[in-house]
Amino acid sequence: MEILDKLVNVALIAATLRTTAPILLVALGGSFTTKAGIFNIGLEGQMLVGAFFAVIGSIWTGSAFAGVACGVAAALVFALVFAVLVVSFRANEVVVGLALNILAGGMTISLMKAIFGTRGSIVGHGIVGLPKVQLPGARAVLGSWAPLISGFTPIVYVAFIAVPLLVLFYNRTRLGLYIRVVGEKPEAAEALGISITRVRYIASLLCGLLAGLAGAHLSLGYITMFTENMSSGRGFMAVAILIFSNGDPLKVLAGCLLFGFADAFSLRLQTFGYPSYLVLTVPYVVALTALFALSYRARPKVITETLASMQRLLSTDKNIGPDGKHPS
Amino acid sequence: MIRDRLREVSGQIIAIAVALILGAIIILLVGESPVRVLTTLLRGAFGDQEKIAGTLLQTTPILICGIAACIGLRGGMFNVGIEGQLFLGGFAAAWVGFAFALPPGIHMLAALALAVAAGAAWVAIPAYFRARYNTNEVVSTILSNYVAVLLTSYFTIFLFKRPGGWSETPPILATAYLPELFSFSRLNWGLVIGLVLALGAALVFRYTSWGYGVTMVGSAPKFAEYGGVNVKRQGFVVLLLSGAVGGLAGGIETLGVHHRFMEGFAPGFGFDGLIAALLANGSPVATIFTALFFGALRSGSLLLEVDTSASREIITVIQALIILSVSAQVLVRRRGDSQAGERRWKF
Repeated sequence: MEILDKLVNVALIAATLRTTAPILLVALGGSFTTKAGIFNIGLEGQMLVGAFFAVIGSIWTGSAFAGVACGVAAALVFALVFAVLVVSFRANEVVVGLALNILAGGMTISLMKAIFGTRGSIVGHGIVGLPKVQLPGARAVLGSWAPLISGFTPIVYVAFIAVPLLVLFYNRTRLGLYIRVVGEKPEAAEALGISITRVRYIASLLCGLLAGLAGAHLSLGYITMFTENMSSGRGFMAVAILIFSNGDPLKVLAGCLLFGFADAFSLRLQTFGYPSYLVLTVPYVVALTALFALSYRARPKVITETLASMQRLLSTDKNIGPDGKHPS
Repeated sequence: MIRDRLREVSGQIIAIAVALILGAIIILLVGESPVRVLTTLLRGAFGDQEKIAGTLLQTTPILICGIAACIGLRGGMFNVGIEGQLFLGGFAAAWVGFAFALPPGIHMLAALALAVAAGAAWVAIPAYFRARYNTNEVVSTILSNYVAVLLTSYFTIFLFKRPGGWSETPPILATAYLPELFSFSRLNWGLVIGLVLALGAALVFRYTSWGYGVTMVGSAPKFAEYGGVNVKRQGFVVLLLSGAVGGLAGGIETLGVHHRFMEGFAPGFGFDGLIAALLANGSPVATIFTALFFGALRSGSLLLEVDTSASREIITVIQALIILSVSAQVLVRRRGDSQAGERRWKF
């Protein structure tokens, strides 16, 4: 029990929220493209260029927020290229996404070498990290639980506030509805006179915006440095989450919290002397397990529905509900 | 027929030219002269006998991984996990190589067999879920790459570390070596195996009903299903074969080049192979040439780091630009289609 106490405590939950933020942002970004019917495997690359150019912008201007703006701008450029190729040129989205990821990896390393003359990572050089927001009164109200809501970088708050905003966006705004129509019933959208091209462009760019923020969080949030391929598969995990959540913001949040927890927990395990290589696989294994388990679950539902409807047809008892059971 | 073919090839060449121009602009941006980079690349790739052998040495794993990708692409499957299959295959071959003592020849074959089995086994779970429950294989295979690389690192560093060595296994026994082709290079029979595989795969796709079925599943799944192909089972088999070839690539790299397994022993070959196969549009024979092209880029890039201030990753930038421009031009023809139409996975 004592070990469990050491493993699970306020610090771990706060760490979970911190590690959840980047993957949540990038997954929420991907929810725009998912809802618009685009399979966007290029999230990883957008996040990576976001992280790199956030560092460059931060060094160049001496301001963390200008750095974030640079990172977002770079991610937007990648998102625009993605949209031009996939939406206008009708290129294969997987091919374009993978190529942009490879481009992001190669380009950031080449530029790092060209600008800093080093390989591996950018540390120091006057990188300005994001400030931590101390909510006034948090400590007075919550006491030792204050780290759960206070002391995060602004991007963490943006990530969590974005969830309810996106729920409203998809359900209550015209653009949100257009995005969903384009994704679910493109024929209907076309018949209604909605420009599928324009909606998909907007969705891709919104996605780039959030992916860029996620990248900036990686390099200017809790560690102020850039390392080669520092997004380390988070973009792909986000895609896994998007597949089983279908881009619904609340389900995305649930999935991301799971990964954030796995991430934070694996970092914690390392300090207890478990072999780091095995511990580092934990988030990926969790992602794969969730992907497989949820697709496994999705299938039998169809079968039980069919069985239920067959039962209804064959049964003389008309009181059987749609779930195949008596309502009582 | 021939004119269509010619148009297809010329399209690819124009796309490569566009990518090279974009690449030149990026090279200028990082402060190098594109001409100097190009001549250095050419010198590094084809400068002398040894350099050419070096290029072919780099081509071998790209070619075999490319064939693995071709098998998947033909069947409409994106096996993005070749990198992971390569690593596991490489480790499996090394393990047979250093842990057992077997007669020459048999030892090598046993090691390659286990590499093949490891590659196939690693893709089996994503393949099963893809076939049975339609779980997106792109994401599951990409994520499994990370696990595979970390897992082999764990094996190498925690379980089978060479005493006194750093992040490498003990060397394999000489009985498991893949014989070299020339005395002046580590170029080995792996290249021959790769060429035979490419031709073999091309023949299977062209002349057997199974191969025809695979191609049909890839290009017109509904037609294939109507024609009596068990689409699900075939998808599973295609991914499994693709993974097996990916594992073989790792085994050949271990037995032919490194003679041990080490951390990060073949970085990026799996992705290069996938790109080579995409550029070749899924044709195994064309993959021979695209793999040679990428092998030359890789081999040339070794000299790039020595002789110029550019980093060797500039070649991955060029590769990515080539794929982007090819993907754009191939589909320009289909631009007239309605946006509402069914999106296909075909390149």
